[in-house]
Amino acid sequence: MRDNDGQVEHIYREKTDRRILRKNPWKDVRLHGTVLVLVVIAELIGTITIPLSHDVKITIMPLIYTIILGLAFYLVKPIKWIHRKQARIAEGAMMLFIGVLIAKLAVSSGQSIALIFDMGPALILQELGHLATILVLPIALLLGFKKESIGMTNSIGREPNVAVVVDKYGFNSPESRGVFAIFIIGTVIGTIFISFLVTFSLSFLPLHPYAFAMASGVGSASMNAAAIGPTLAAFPGMETQIEAFAGFSNLLSFCVGIYIVIFVALPLTEKMYNWFEPKIGRDSIVKTKEDD
Amino acid sequence: MVELIDGSENVSVHGIFNWILLLAIFSVITCIGNYIGYEHPIGDSLVGMGILSLITLIGVWMERKLPLNISSIIYISVIGIIIALPIMPTSSFVLHYVSQVELLSIVTVFLAYVGIGMGKSWNEFKALGWRAVIVTILVIASTYLGSAIVAHIILVLTGVPV
Repeated sequence: MRDNDGQVEHIYREKTDRRILRKNPWKDVRLHGTVLVLVVIAELIGTITIPLSHDVKITIMPLIYTIILGLAFYLVKPIKWIHRKQARIAEGAMMLFIGVLIAKLAVSSGQSIALIFDMGPALILQELGHLATILVLPIALLLGFKKESIGMTNSIGREPNVAVVVDKYGFNSPESRGVFAIFIIGTVIGTIFISFLVTFSLSFLPLHPYAFAMASGVGSASMNAAAIGPTLAAFPGMETQIEAFAGFSNLLSFCVGIYIVIFVALPLTEKMYNWFEPKIGRDSIVKTKEDD
Repeated sequence: MVELIDGSENVSVHGIFNWILLLAIFSVITCIGNYIGYEHPIGDSLVGMGILSLITLIGVWMERKLPLNISSIIYISVIGIIIALPIMPTSSFVLHYVSQVELLSIVTVFLAYVGIGMGKSWNEFKALGWRAVIVTILVIASTYLGSAIVAHIILVLTGVPV
């Protein structure tokens, strides 16, 4: 990421193109073979349901096994055939495969277009619900972050958000450091975390099934994918509607979400920062790190 | 703009060939998982994956070839929505085959690649410290719960039955 100064907006496309178009990524039998094995194992195990009480249950789905096993295969030493090269190809290929996922959701949206128009107000207004990230700002301040907290809490910190923050504050600003931190941590734990978050929310929050579906469009394709899984399992018979809302709200997040961040979230986060920082700000932990 | 031009130069016939083969591999793995997990016939689900791959290919190609600065995700969404609209002649064909591919089968394969790919960020991740992890978790939770709660309130206010 850091060797692409000033071109953050297209880092993913460039990475993908470099890895996919110039090499022959389909030849990597180790990578695709491993994925096939992971998928077969995951589908054979199937969904595991753990009942906590008579109406609260935890669902662990095959998608959790593949993501955790995938990460484990890369990290665990005895597995010698998955290296940095395979991870790079996987990362590049992933950007292409997102398309298939988006296409499937779009087909469900097209099929249910009348329903989407009926639910228009909820679909559009729930995009404003993403502003709730700003509520985390005081906590970030209490933990000792300074201006980093503006980059950290203005949005979910995925690719488009990184681009906006870097564009506004500059590549080497504390705000950009903050959004990069959220981006990297979100990349590693975001997908796993959100699938558990959704599972728990489905058990404990009595919300409308459509509300869960719309909320899963958080503006990151992999987190969207991980969030829909448990939602589909929780409301059998409503697959098409849930996919339609999840897909459409993800599309909205991509189209208007970025403008909400630029025109509403970032100015609001800065206001919050200026108001809270003198009251609860701590000594910067980032500064002391740099002095070492 | 420089990087835009660079991006489109890379799309040679050879490059598109790479995309097609990758999508083919992805489709085959998905259909195998789809068969094991949901017992959908492999032939029908392969046609379904073929349709989805073709939409992806067109979207990715348009992003790089058209002079507009629009993400492929938006092209893909729009194409997918249009061909599935009930008034379109393509609709029944598309829906029949695409419904043979469960979304979760696609997600399971996709996340296997995500898992392997994210291993690369592991060292950077470890360097960031627990404070940043807490903030990230709270940010993800609040964005999800925020929009779920807003959506729920609007759905209730507009009288949508559960």
